[in-house]
Amino acid sequence: MTDCGCDKAKEELEEYLHRELSAEDFRDVTDHLENCADCTTEHLVGITMTLKMQRACQEKAPDDLKASVLAMLSNA
Amino acid sequence: MPQLLLTRPALDSTPMSDVAGTGDDSTVEIERELDAIDDAAVGDAPVRAGKRSSLPPAQLRSLFEEQAIPFMDQLYAAAMRMTRNPADAGDLVQETYAKAYAAFAQFEQGTNLKAWLYRILTNTFINGYRKNQRQPYQNAIDDLEDYQLGSAESLTQGRSTRSAEAEAIDHLPDSDVKEALQSIPEDFRLAVYLADVEGFSYQEIADIMRTPVGTVMSRLHRGRRLLRDLLADYARDRGFAVTATPPRSTK
Repeated sequence: MTDCGCDKAKEELEEYLHRELSAEDFRDVTDHLENCADCTTEHLVGITMTLKMQRACQEKAPDDLKASVLAMLSNA
Repeated sequence: MPQLLLTRPALDSTPMSDVAGTGDDSTVEIERELDAIDDAAVGDAPVRAGKRSSLPPAQLRSLFEEQAIPFMDQLYAAAMRMTRNPADAGDLVQETYAKAYAAFAQFEQGTNLKAWLYRILTNTFINGYRKNQRQPYQNAIDDLEDYQLGSAESLTQGRSTRSAEAEAIDHLPDSDVKEALQSIPEDFRLAVYLADVEGFSYQEIADIMRTPVGTVMSRLHRGRRLLRDLLADYARDRGFAVTATPPRSTK
């Protein structure tokens, strides 16, 4: 059991979300989240925001853009 | 401790115009761009001298088509969030591909092509498009203290409130999310976009934006916080419950 407590967890949730913690810190925060509903819901907000952005920002390049980029390659 | 690009090999003597005829006239501009492209070509991968491609043009072109063109939807999506309109986004992507193709012989196969392309895209945007729509408060915002950016609701809210918040965010239409993202300051927006939508590592973002990792982290943190507040506002406007008091509206 390496629970790191709420203060450290809250401080590191963003790095946790982005997978930027060391293996050790990652484990500490994971352990904490298992036992702390409060930090878990805070983490849920973070994940929701990320997933929401990923879904909302999908785009398809217009066909004429594709065509003109390919044309540029042929003319180069 | 961020270390950005310690070694950089001398520029190859391939003039850009030989390959793609980009036709820029300011030498300063070209130098800066080549610099950026050269940095990008080197990236954070181990530099092995003489590893750059010496393929004949036809093969280089088909390699480029095969490897770089599939990123177009993604690059266009990023360009849309940067420029905020389809016409500029299209131009930005086109210019990015022209530069990338011109420098493709210098790209070291096996290193991160996606990061390389994003670096060129971001640089082109910052050096070109941003000049036209400069935001005067940009630098000032980086210097603001955290407390000046408003309170982090997360620190004071209770658990039930936050699950309501997550649910409300989840119910927002895509257009709200894009609008919110587009309304936060540009450097924050880029950091958030590159981390959350594209999944780049902090070090990769630092290389793409040419800033120290610490700056990336601070921009991300602040950007996400601003975004979260904005999304809560949108949710409230739409009648979703984001505070502790039910009821939440239908929809």
